[in-house]
Amino acid sequence: MLFEARDLSIRFGGVHAVRDVSFAIEEGEVFSIIGPNGAGKTTVFNLISRFYDPDGGTLAFRGEDITSTPAHHVAELGIARTFQNTELFERETVLANLLIGRHVHRRTNLLKDLLFLPAARRQEVAFREKVEEVIDLLHLQSHRRALVGSLPYGARKMVEIARALCTEPRLLLLDEPSSGLNPEETEDLAFWIEDIVADLGVTIVMVEHDMNLVATVSNRVLAMADGSVLATGEPAAIQSHPEVLRAYLGGTDEPPPAVAEAAP
Amino acid sequence: MRFVLTTRYAQDVALFRHNGQRFWYGLLAIALLVAPWLMTNFYVGEAAMVFIWAIAGVGVMLLVGYTGLVSLGHAAFLAIGAYTHAALLRYGVPLPLALLLATGAAAAAGALVGYAALRMTGVYLAVATLAFERIVAYLVEHGGALTGGVRGVAMTQPQWFGISVIHSHFFYYLCLGVLALCIFGAVNLLRSPTGRAFVAVRDSEVCAESMGVHLARTKTVAFALSAALTGLAGALMAHKIGHLVPEAFGVNVSIQLLLLVVVGGLGSLHGVVFGAIFVGFLPQILALARDQLAAFGVDRVPGLEVGAYGAILVLFLIFEPLGVYGRWLKIRAWFDEFPLYRKATYKKQKSYLRTERVH
Ligand SMILES: Nc1ncnc2c1ncn2[C@@H]1O[C@H](COP(=O)(O)OP(=O)(O)OP(=O)(O)O)[C@@H](O)[C@H]1O
Ligand SMILES: [Mg+2]
Repeated sequence: MLFEARDLSIRFGGVHAVRDVSFAIEEGEVFSIIGPNGAGKTTVFNLISRFYDPDGGTLAFRGEDITSTPAHHVAELGIARTFQNTELFERETVLANLLIGRHVHRRTNLLKDLLFLPAARRQEVAFREKVEEVIDLLHLQSHRRALVGSLPYGARKMVEIARALCTEPRLLLLDEPSSGLNPEETEDLAFWIEDIVADLGVTIVMVEHDMNLVATVSNRVLAMADGSVLATGEPAAIQSHPEVLRAYLGGTDEPPPAVAEAAP
Repeated sequence: MRFVLTTRYAQDVALFRHNGQRFWYGLLAIALLVAPWLMTNFYVGEAAMVFIWAIAGVGVMLLVGYTGLVSLGHAAFLAIGAYTHAALLRYGVPLPLALLLATGAAAAAGALVGYAALRMTGVYLAVATLAFERIVAYLVEHGGALTGGVRGVAMTQPQWFGISVIHSHFFYYLCLGVLALCIFGAVNLLRSPTGRAFVAVRDSEVCAESMGVHLARTKTVAFALSAALTGLAGALMAHKIGHLVPEAFGVNVSIQLLLLVVVGGLGSLHGVVFGAIFVGFLPQILALARDQLAAFGVDRVPGLEVGAYGAILVLFLIFEPLGVYGRWLKIRAWFDEFPLYRKATYKKQKSYLRTERVH
């Protein structure tokens, strides 16, 4: 088991955003979290990233308890993430954005950086080689020197995934990777996700609304609503799970297309 | 338009990307080295002052332009550097060591302020640093023999090989050398992990943290470095001022430093140089303006200078937020791409669906 969340809970004032959520993730799988808007999916990610302290429950990564690990240490352990609305450095080039992904692997200190000693120079070149590997993997060559602020939204989403990969994570958290992408880009995304798992051996947890994408790439799906887990299981089983259907149809949200089709 | 063919990754981290750059910077270096022999002593002195502004400017730029933390208290670091340096020289500490120790004192103060202000950003940080500046000003005014209080203290001007530090040419080369070292250090930082962490904190704290950047440490380091350079500039400035009085390091100096980085262009070291030239010659420009205003009898209005600084600051923030260097880039792009230049090239892109919440 690579990662385990047990009885995770957090409240924001009166909102019980996440309550008693438990799940375990095996090495090498794609694990999707679905649920209507406001279900608490992003909050689960923020809990794993240690942006929030849970009110209850524990987090464990590779057998180690990380419930009180500082947020800046999470990446070093091997957990990287993307954000629902992208958090990129807009005024910087794609290269500069990807290089920050190597930050956890730095071996120089302030003094070495200040004088740019040979160790710092070698490190920069090594960083760049690794970044280029990721650029090759995700076909970002043509954007390498473009300013992120000038890229179309789909490309930015890929840059953010690339940046997360530059940290060489064991576990990759993707928050709605397909939101804002057109159908073709979404189809490509499915291939990239499969490549990332197959070529890099990275385990993926994905929050996603596009049920087609979820069904295509996921090994298992967790459905949640109002902060609680409704069901966990194979994609097909979850799509036809009565509680899940009720959560989508009963909510104020439009049900995702695939779920709508499955409805009687 | 120039296309640089990159064949090795090391090229991208080199100080100069291509021979053209090497040529122009070489020419600039030679010009700066011979300049004092072609100018009157008055202008040699003015140039040294521009270098000092630029040293402090590099410091302020690292904090404000690259880490995104605003400070209205940098005059305090200038004062700490100046008074420490003056005191050390009075006790016979050799000049280079005194400069180093003054820099260190300012760095320590900077680390303290940075650490204390960790949770603050924007206006709150500006006010907190302003408060710090007032505290230091108070200490300087009541510092007894160490600072000379409101009456001030005379600066010891040591000799080096029979030449006084403030000999115009000696001082010019001293300041130029220190500035060159500071810029070299800043460029180095910005092409390595430390500088990238600064920029990451500026652009998105959440993301920086998720990429493994230690926010508290990064901000404290940025503050300390910024204060160190400003303190170093203060120490050099002390020689120039000659007699240190509290008014020499008032709030208006903090505003001048902020003006320097904004006019030059936030987030660029080139901008520091433009900004330093601007701030260095601003008093002369204002003096001329004052002569004009004398005709209307309004030249004696108190606070005229500070008002002018503030007005220029606001005008730049509204009309040329990328500063002089940004304007220069636009002009160059226009010539490069003529007749294809698009006005929108440097327009800030609308960010998609950005909210205040952590997503
Ligand atoms: N920082 C916060 N402060 C207060 N309330 C919050 C905070 N973060 C999330 N919430 C609340 O917690 C609930 C779950 O939010 P969350 O963002 O996790 O939903 P989500 O499942 O990601 O939804 P979406 O599909 O819209 O992204 C919502 O009611 C939200 O308003
Ligand atoms: Mg969400």
